Parts: sequence; structure tokens; C-alpha cells
Amino acid sequence: MSREKEYFLSCIESNKGIIYKVANSYCKDDADREDLLQEIILQLWKAFPSFKPDYKLSTWMYRIALNVAISSYRKASKRSKILQPLCETAIYLDDDTSEVNDNRDMLQVLIRELKEVDRALILLYLDGYLYPEIGNVLGLSESNVATKLSRIKQQLKKKFTA
Amino acid sequence: MQDIELQQLWKSYDQKLQEQLVFNRQNASDITKMKVKSELTAMRPIKLFTVLAGILWILFLDILVINLFPVGNAYFLISAGFISLVNKIAVGIYLYQLVLISVVNINAPVMSTQKKIAGLVTSTLWVTRILMLQLPFWTTFFLSSAWIGSANPLFWIIQVSITVAFAGASIWLFINIRYENRDKRWFKFLFGSYEWTPIMKAQEMLVQIKDYEEETL
Repeated sequence: MSREKEYFLSCIESNKGIIYKVANSYCKDDADREDLLQEIILQLWKAFPSFKPDYKLSTWMYRIALNVAISSYRKASKRSKILQPLCETAIYLDDDTSEVNDNRDMLQVLIRELKEVDRALILLYLDGYLYPEIGNVLGLSESNVATKLSRIKQQLKKKFTA
Repeated sequence: MQDIELQQLWKSYDQKLQEQLVFNRQNASDITKMKVKSELTAMRPIKLFTVLAGILWILFLDILVINLFPVGNAYFLISAGFISLVNKIAVGIYLYQLVLISVVNINAPVMSTQKKIAGLVTSTLWVTRILMLQLPFWTTFFLSSAWIGSANPLFWIIQVSITVAFAGASIWLFINIRYENRDKRWFKFLFGSYEWTPIMKAQEMLVQIKDYEEETL
């Protein structure tokens, strides 16, 4: 295995949470999520030569993962036609049934109900990114991020208490 | 519920992922060996085929019009000429789509990338609208002055009714094939199939992007 690929796989391993969170937020269905995970990894690998070391790796990954997830307009049945036969899953939860947390699961459901761009915004916010970083990933001004985020949070809180 | 509670919930989810998320290095390595065939690159062969087929069709029509110009009748020349023009515009839009496919950068900020992709997908709706304009000319290309001169009233009633109906339908479709009519029954009947779903979703994306852009104004 080449050194570049080794490094790439290490990067993916250390940021697997980002890829999983994005895929899980844009796909409810397990098979769709697996396909999306696969496509994100593939697109990251394709774009890896253009990654600049002075750029934050997690932010770069978020940008590509979100771009791939949002532009996945196709339906699940079409995915398998676009991609080649599925490889085995690269990132997965070891035991998804071990712990049930109603509020945590509810948050996942409510995030999935948001519009695609709003979903990207709240994911970055909840993952602790600052407004300038969020703006950089999405291509928005800080004030736009702040205004939209405030509305999305209100929306989420309202649904939570409903 | 406060902001902090939302963040705590997310942290708890993050914690769960850290504990339970498994990375299979071999499978990830296998994925990198796959031939890259994204949604966009998958579109390219279809667009290329359409452009090539369109160019051949336009060439055929133009050669016919040029060669028959000295001897051909006006009905055929005008009809074939207009059909050729409409198809040239459609091929032009397909060429524009091919250019867009090549400039879409997945590394770029999400909003700009999504705007390009959504614009690319929705321009297909424009092609459909423009192609509708050729409909009435398919009802006139076979006419000739001699035929019309000797035609009986029944021919006129049928011919004019069909041409007027096609002209009306083509203008109506040109005006009404738009995203705003997506929930109308006739629209769902014409564009309710699986192939049109991405176009409608792309249009929804453009609405979201516009909403964000207006926020900055």
C-alpha cells in the first residue's frame, strides 16, 4: 500500500465520526447510509491530492462529506446502479442496540427533518465549529450563519418541547 | 430546552460514536480502488450521447433544408428550419451542462458547489420547455401549396384544428413547465416518474440557496 494511501486511511480513521455523522444525518435507511459512506470515502480519496496541509483536515472533510451528501438527490434504488458492487462496510457501529437514549435519538430524527443546508449548519454548530469556520465550510458570511443558526435552534427546541 | 442541552445531547451522541464506531481499514482501502463514478460523472456519458445524437439530427435537418431550399416548399423549409433551431438551442444547453459538470468542484464551499449542481440539474427542465416549442411544426412540415390548393373543407378543419391544438399546447407547456406547478396533477402525470425526482429536488435546493442569499442582502 502506498504511503499516500496509508496516510489517507489514517486520516479517515481519525475522523470517522465526521463521515458517519454526515451520512447518518442525510440517510435514515441503513443501506442508503452505507452507500453514502462509501461514496464519501471515495470522493475524499479522489480529492485527497488537492488537500492543502495548511487547511484543517476535519473542516476539509466536512466540506466534501456535506457536498456529497447534499448532492445525493437520487433514490436508494438508483444508488446501486451508480456505484459498483458494494464493498464491505468501512465504518459502522459495533452495537447500535446497546443503549437507548430517547432524547438523543429524537435529536437525530429532528435533524433529519431539517432542510439540507440547515442540517449542514446545525451539524457543524453541534460539533463545536465556530461561526467563521462554519461560514468557511458552507460559503456563508458569519452574520448569515448566526441568523440562520438562531432560527434553526429555535425550530429544534420548539419541536423538542412539542 | 436551552442551547447547552442540545449540545450536551450531541456530545453524548459523539461519545457513543467514539466508543462504538468501528473502522475497517481493509474495506476502506478497497473502496479507494473502486473506479470513481459519482453522480456527476455518471451524467456525462448520457449528456455526451444526447449532444452527439442532437448534432447528427440537426445536421440531417440542415442538410435537408439547404439542399431542398431551391426546390422545396415553404411549409417544409420553415417547419424543418424551426425544428432545427429549437434543437440547436437544446443541444447548446446540453453543452453548457457538460461544461458545468467539468467545473463543479467538490472541494469548494457547500453553497457554491450545490448551486452549480442544482443549476445543472434544473437546466434539464429548460431543455424540456424549449423542445415543446417544436410541436406545431411537426403538423405542418408535410404540407405543400399544391395539396392545400386542392384540399377540401374537411381537410382544412382537421389540419387547422390539429395545428392550432399543438401550437396552443406547446405554448402552454412552455409557460407552465416550471417548478411552481410541481404539485399540479398534470405536472405529476408528465413528470412524476423516477427520472424527474432529482430535478425537482435540485429545484428545492435552489430555493433553499436563494433563501440563504436573500438573508445576506
